[in-house]
Amino acid sequence: MKSKELVAMLQDFYLLSFRGLTGIFRRPFYLKDTIEQMDYAGAGSFLIILLVSLFIGMALSLQLSAELSRLGLKMYTGKVVGISIIREIGPVTAALVFAGRVGAGMASELGSMVLGHQVDSLRVFGVDPVKKLVTPRLLSSLLMLPALTIIGDAVSLLGAYYIAVYVSHQSGSVYWTSIRDVLIYENVVAGSVKPFIFGYLIASVSCFMGLTTRGGSVGLRQTTTRAVVFSIISIIISDFVLTRILLYLLGFSV
Amino acid sequence: MILFDRVSFSYGLCPILDGLSFSIGAQERVAVLGGSGEGKTTILKLIMGLIKPDSGAILVDGEDITIKCEAHLREVRMKFSLVFQEGALFDSLSVKENVAFCLREYTKMSEEEIDGRVRELLRVVGMEHALERMPDELSGGMHRRVAIARSLAAYDPLMFLYDEPTSGLDPISADMICRLILELAGGRRGLIMVTHKVSDALKVADRFMFLKAGRVLFDGDRERLVRSTLPEIRMFMRELECLSPAE
Repeated sequence: MKSKELVAMLQDFYLLSFRGLTGIFRRPFYLKDTIEQMDYAGAGSFLIILLVSLFIGMALSLQLSAELSRLGLKMYTGKVVGISIIREIGPVTAALVFAGRVGAGMASELGSMVLGHQVDSLRVFGVDPVKKLVTPRLLSSLLMLPALTIIGDAVSLLGAYYIAVYVSHQSGSVYWTSIRDVLIYENVVAGSVKPFIFGYLIASVSCFMGLTTRGGSVGLRQTTTRAVVFSIISIIISDFVLTRILLYLLGFSV
Repeated sequence: MILFDRVSFSYGLCPILDGLSFSIGAQERVAVLGGSGEGKTTILKLIMGLIKPDSGAILVDGEDITIKCEAHLREVRMKFSLVFQEGALFDSLSVKENVAFCLREYTKMSEEEIDGRVRELLRVVGMEHALERMPDELSGGMHRRVAIARSLAAYDPLMFLYDEPTSGLDPISADMICRLILELAGGRRGLIMVTHKVSDALKVADRFMFLKAGRVLFDGDRERLVRSTLPEIRMFMRELECLSPAE
């Protein structure tokens, strides 16, 4: 891709994501579309988030218990698992699953609408496609990903509890006390800011890719792939940047 | 009503229209003929302001629409009714909801009023029986008819634009669509029909434009079209010769 095209594409992306976001505060409000998208993104992703979070929590607890018991520090399993899940692994895991399921769905749905001239039809009828299609998806991601992350965190901690208590034979009360100690303001803020940013990025990237689809079924395949790949890359990079900023703002020393 | 003044357009590096100029009056019935990739659909999209030309001016009622922003193009678009190839119905909505789309978007009609208007429009196109069906349950001809009903829902257009309305349809459905197009135009509204089927073009239009290499190769009435000796047009006219029992 030429540098001029890349700059033009980035400009279009920023404009779309900005207009999609400001659309939340501008009439008309497509409440029905937003609720439909929330159902698809939230309720539809619920089971897969539960499953992935449960096994990630269990695997993490297993790894840490094995390593910490060699150092004689098994009682810290809950604390380390809690910090890892709440601050880092929970938000990133939920976002990656969300990108794979919801992001790909958004891109392919919008791409298919572009190829079937449905987006042009909206414009012909004087309906702003950004307001009608992008804003509800953006809003639903902004609301649903944080909710799914909180649920995923809770399930991960339960999975980790099961391994810590029934496999690693640790005290359940010590585990929950450690978790409660971890649930301080700084950790909760660090873990709950990220999903909002991730949700915004996933929806923006996926909608942009969908609305710029060209070239039939091959183009649609490329669109979906790009949406997932670029969403994942943006999640991973923004996670590092956010972690750095949040650690600084919340007064953690590195 | 519509004036193209030296309009050029290309998709990336592929030129489609090359200094195209023509004008169409508000009550004319025009068929735009030409092979695939000659820019027939592009002309309709340019008239609606869905794409911008690389150069040249497009005037609708004297106003250059190429310099208008998206918000101001709505007024221009309301003068036309565009029916896309294969209908472009919203596939997540039922037939009823597709036709009601613009009514919900732009009017404050009650549910009963919307229901009545949708039934009336579907009756015009002979689709009142498919009210609750989804687009993927409709045939190609039904798709086009519902799309025509939808395009009439919100406002009264001055001119109809049809993109390949009969392509891929059996002769009976194609004939039904042609008759519907003529009925809707009546004597007071113009139409532009983009097609590569000469037989259908002859049923609805009285002026014919033939595109070749991004320019108008032929522009004339039925008689001139039939008598044309241009090889490209003769090739298209063979379709008619095949249809004629005398031949």
